[in-house]
Amino acid sequence: MSNVQLLIVDDEERFLKTTKTLMEKRGVTTKTAASGEQALKIISEAHIDVVILDVKMPGMDGDEVLRRIKQTYPLIEVIMLTGHGSVDSAVVGLKMGAYDYVLKPCDIPDLMQKVESAYGKKQAMENKIRKVQVDRMISHPMAVFDKDGQD
Amino acid sequence: MNATARKNKETEKFSRIRRIILSRTLVAPFVILMMVCSTLVYYFAANLYDRVESELIRIVDDHRSMIAQFLVERTEDLKFIADANRFESICQQKRLTQIVHMLQTGSPAFLDLGVFDNQGNHVAYQGPYNLEGRNYRDAAWFKAVEEKSVYISDVFLGYRDTPHFIIAVKKMENGTPWYLRATIDTFFFNNLVENIRVGKTGEAYLINKDGVFQTKRRSGGILMEIDPDFSSYQQNNGHIVSYTARDYRGDKYRYAVGRLDQTGWLMVVRQDFMGASAPLVHAVLVAVGLIFVGGAVVVLIAFFLASGVAHRLSMADVEKREMGSQLIMAGKLAEVGEMSAGMAHEINNPLQVMMSEITMIQDLFSDCRTGEPVNQETMDLMADSIDQIWLQINRCSGITQGLLKFARKTDPVVLKIIPHEMIGEIVAMVENQAHCQGITIHQEVEPDLPEIESDPAQLQQVFLNLLNNAIYAVKDRDSGQIRITSAFDDEFILLAIADNGCGIDPDQLKRIFMPFFTTKPVGKGTGLGLSTCYGIVERLGGNITVTSELNAGTVFTVQLPRPGLAKKRN
Repeated sequence: MSNVQLLIVDDEERFLKTTKTLMEKRGVTTKTAASGEQALKIISEAHIDVVILDVKMPGMDGDEVLRRIKQTYPLIEVIMLTGHGSVDSAVVGLKMGAYDYVLKPCDIPDLMQKVESAYGKKQAMENKIRKVQVDRMISHPMAVFDKDGQD
Repeated sequence: MNATARKNKETEKFSRIRRIILSRTLVAPFVILMMVCSTLVYYFAANLYDRVESELIRIVDDHRSMIAQFLVERTEDLKFIADANRFESICQQKRLTQIVHMLQTGSPAFLDLGVFDNQGNHVAYQGPYNLEGRNYRDAAWFKAVEEKSVYISDVFLGYRDTPHFIIAVKKMENGTPWYLRATIDTFFFNNLVENIRVGKTGEAYLINKDGVFQTKRRSGGILMEIDPDFSSYQQNNGHIVSYTARDYRGDKYRYAVGRLDQTGWLMVVRQDFMGASAPLVHAVLVAVGLIFVGGAVVVLIAFFLASGVAHRLSMADVEKREMGSQLIMAGKLAEVGEMSAGMAHEINNPLQVMMSEITMIQDLFSDCRTGEPVNQETMDLMADSIDQIWLQINRCSGITQGLLKFARKTDPVVLKIIPHEMIGEIVAMVENQAHCQGITIHQEVEPDLPEIESDPAQLQQVFLNLLNNAIYAVKDRDSGQIRITSAFDDEFILLAIADNGCGIDPDQLKRIFMPFFTTKPVGKGTGLGLSTCYGIVERLGGNITVTSELNAGTVFTVQLPRPGLAKKRN
């Protein structure tokens, strides 16, 4: 698990700070973003595996951020963090491709566990893709040169 | 409002609707009916008046000519006798008896016959009285007949006590006149005149030119007496005059008067005015009766109809109100739902922070347990986390207190407030802050605005909140302006806070007074400010309204009751 690249997006500065410390202690490389815009910027610049995304934020809200992430980086797994008492907003997120949702307040071990399984899923998916590519390479070795960079 | 009061109000409303329907459906038909009836009565009366008049004139005309005819005939009879006989022969008693007999056969009106020489001596007489030998030279009738050759006297009673008069004619024989005089019993036309009846009260009579009754008058008027009404009779030579006058007793009569040419007598026919108007009175009574009976039926029907309609209307009203309260209830439930979602978000965020801090502390603790050295850094981290938990707890309690303020029903401390001064103080509190951001506050509350009785502390909270909102709305403008204006009427004073700021989206405007509704970012606003203002102003017996246009500005208007009304509301 040591090489999970995590991004936490929330408008509570203190939550970001503490959670980042806790996550890093558990061996997760963590970045933080205080708004949707900042989050998208970080994703575009650095390698990110899992995003913990608050639904309600000023400016661009969680659903919109999720939509954009999934559009550009479909392999990144997103865990929705919702403060509303209802799961309605979470359902909207799941339909749009979020991996899971967490109701606030959640304790950190729980969150950690979800991050790990999300990362597991991402790795499995990446392995599968790699396997397909390898298979293809074996059957059509010359195609590597044609299609490289397209996955 | 308790149930009885509401019931009373409903009953009152029901009666009012019914009254309106009744008055509107009844007034027009009644007015028309009255107009039709009065028009008919008017024409009927005019017609009746004409008819009575022509009836009276006709009676006068008929009977006058009948009497004139009678007089002419009797006069001609006498003239004929005078012409047919010489003085000597007629003076013979036998001949006179023969002539009288002949005359009486022709007309039983002849009572007697006398012959007079030119000196007025009564030379011969045939009749029931012994009058021969008398001299009438100085009698009025003799003088008249000497002059006019024919004379008809007024009626008198004579010895027999039956009304009669005399006719005298002059005969010239060889240059010497002699005279014939006959007494005529007026039985014939007396009855004719006396028995004339017009309606129930109509009567006819004759008077001579001096106003003496020539026939009896049924309603009082003895033969040979002077008619007390004589002076009031109108006459116009031979024409018949018709008019209305009061008699000496003050009773009103319709009159028709015509003069007899031969004698100058007046033929009078009169009818009691009420008698003449009897058919009219009858018609009016029938009409009024019909109006009352018909009107009662119409009123009754209209009453039931109106009751029905009013009943239906009030039923509809009740249904509408029930529907309204159901809608309000639904709205309230939706509000509660939205409110709890907002509250969950507001509370869950600090809880999440606390959760992280607790995990942090636990981590640090377990590090200590496993025997790692406790250095200054660990201690600082723990203290920091504990402080943070402390901070977040305060944040939560602030939210719950704000919520309580919105809902709590504290008794307001009612004091006299001069609105101008109160607004001045509040503006002073925010003026500095506004000035720093380049915002101008125009205080245009009129100093002579009436006093109100309200809770100054709560009102201060309301206006501070509204002013802060206004400042927030205009802070990004180049020339932010906030204007506080006032107005008042009999019941309320109005204080309006207008800004030229960003305005509020119409969708959001509906929810603006809802708890936890905010457009500000997390941590900047709890969404409780306006809802608290709303609660306060409502509790003080006023209300608060908002109008806004996007990118143009927003106006919040606070309506506060003038003294005497606040208590009624509560």
